[in-house]
Amino acid sequence: MTKDLVARVVWLCRALRERGLAVTISHATDAIRALQAGAVRSRDHAYLALRCVLVSRPEDFATFDQLFWTAFGVDDGDGQRAQGAPASPRRPQEARGPAHPSLSRWLQQGEDDSGAETEEIPGASDHSALVRKDFASFAEGDLEEIERIAARLARRLAARPGRRWAPAKRGARVDLRRTLRRSLSTGAEPLDLRFRRRKPRKTRIVALCDVSGSMDLYSRLLLQFLYALHGSVAKVESFAFSTSLLRITDSMRERPFSSALRGLSERVHDWSGGTRIGACMSTFNAEWGKLVDRRTVVVILSDGWDTGDPAELAAQLELLKSRCRRLIWLNPLLGSPGYQPVTRGMEAALPHVGVFASAHDLSSLRALEKHLLA
Amino acid sequence: MDAAIPQLLERLDREAYVADPAIATSLWLSLTLKKPLLVEGHAGVGKTEIAKVLARMLETDLIRLQCYEGLDASTALYEWNYPKQLLHIRLQERDGKPAADAESQIFGEAFLLKRPLLQAIAHQGRAPVLLVDEIDRSDEEFEAFLLEVLSDFQVTVPELGTIRAPVRPHVVLTSNRSRDLSDALRRRCLYLWIDYPPFEKELAIVRRKVPGASDELAAQIVGLVQQLRRAKLAKAPGVSETLDWADALVALHAIRLQPQLVGETLGCLVKDEGDLRKVQAEIEAGRLAVGSSA
Repeated sequence: MTKDLVARVVWLCRALRERGLAVTISHATDAIRALQAGAVRSRDHAYLALRCVLVSRPEDFATFDQLFWTAFGVDDGDGQRAQGAPASPRRPQEARGPAHPSLSRWLQQGEDDSGAETEEIPGASDHSALVRKDFASFAEGDLEEIERIAARLARRLAARPGRRWAPAKRGARVDLRRTLRRSLSTGAEPLDLRFRRRKPRKTRIVALCDVSGSMDLYSRLLLQFLYALHGSVAKVESFAFSTSLLRITDSMRERPFSSALRGLSERVHDWSGGTRIGACMSTFNAEWGKLVDRRTVVVILSDGWDTGDPAELAAQLELLKSRCRRLIWLNPLLGSPGYQPVTRGMEAALPHVGVFASAHDLSSLRALEKHLLA
Repeated sequence: MDAAIPQLLERLDREAYVADPAIATSLWLSLTLKKPLLVEGHAGVGKTEIAKVLARMLETDLIRLQCYEGLDASTALYEWNYPKQLLHIRLQERDGKPAADAESQIFGEAFLLKRPLLQAIAHQGRAPVLLVDEIDRSDEEFEAFLLEVLSDFQVTVPELGTIRAPVRPHVVLTSNRSRDLSDALRRRCLYLWIDYPPFEKELAIVRRKVPGASDELAAQIVGLVQQLRRAKLAKAPGVSETLDWADALVALHAIRLQPQLVGETLGCLVKDEGDLRKVQAEIEAGRLAVGSSA
């Protein structure tokens, strides 16, 4: 193995690292050992061997392809290999429009807002004859009901038995191992029974709430619901998004709701009214992806009116879905009869969503329980 | 040593596993660098088979740990044999020996139930192949625990002491990507992604595994399966489905595909009700190559 080859491997490792792949020193050592072991004779073999050692996700194959053929030169017989390079991920442009008047209005109005507006809710406004009261026309007393629903949901979430066992003073089953150990001190007579019980399953919730113009009438109530959840479950992470993403977990922990809302309005006042769900999901996956694991239920509250790229949205949702236990999309418009999820964003999103449900009134919030617990 | 990878391909072929250079290279690296091999891919592309073939090839034992949610150390590593312990204490008592003496005995190796991980570590003789199947189904606690075991191949049983592996087992982990595995685990492993095979490779697999199928039938089977995979079904058929279907058709003495025959045996291939209806509609519309009824 020539010095040159070592230099190329080291260059490749560094280039991969710069592209965000987790390539460590031990990877580089393994890569060199792999080439030194003698079985690798052609560039194609080297390609396969180095990919096996350095890359651990098929999504990264394209990046590896490109860098490998840069480092080792294109094989004469197989020139098209180098073209497997991916299109560089597009950076979302930071479109900064004027602050959305409607959003900031209700944020400022705080708790006093009785939500009497009936203006332009796409697809929902012309169904005022609904028996169930839509959030668009929402009364003050119902806020308490929201809190009750959230509190009950939180209790149920916390009390779910998991599949792992933990020792307990009293429990469903005798812990044979501990019982037997104890019995040795009483002449092998198991006088002192030890028990074990199912460890409670800790469900985590990550909520992403659309606060753009089209969602305006619903956002406040959904935020209220999130707020109530924060009060009763420790593990809720909340985000608000329109054209950009903002973590609002801290604001949501403030008490009372009016001061939480004030905190929010200070932080979101310069948002514009459009929605770029795909870009926001991309930010979320890149920066906050660590919050999501197999125990996490991800809830997206949005109507799917998206001005961004549907393909990006689909890709990001797929990634998100592969990481979480459940991906739930709550769409307030689903509550209106005749609504079809035909917005471009919604169409792109649907195949990747585990549960697609409505969130336009109290009964749909109650129904949410079964999705979160499933 | 020069021809190690082509040789390995040949040996895999002798074990009736149709491999490609990527698979052979990964296996060779895993044996050479002595690192665990993480195999990912869609369901039914032959991930588990790799471990089985490896064990046959190395003429050693295969120890399999099937993962599921809630899998914990007592199921994966070891458990004491409580009934045996209790019986032993009773026998000691009958013989008039004090129960306290029993302690040193009942926590001995004879009372230990070895689960797959401990079996692999305590294995004597030739290094076994340890298959950790569907690691993505276990939870993160178990993944962390497994990492610890894989890094030094030793286990401490409080009552017994530390058990070290005399030889490092060959470790193969498989995952369906139902969740993202931790970076720490990925870092420890070599990585192999198995995609659905292209037409020629799948045909070779069918010819190899279902020798009873005629040339024409095998080509038709693979052609249709490849078409179905492109059709965006909820559950695309894997290679194992192709083989099941080929077996079924051979058992029915089929010489070539016929629409009726395809309709009757579709359950081998398509295992989702919505998909089934979609495929049947496609067949009726004549958009799938299901042969002619003549």
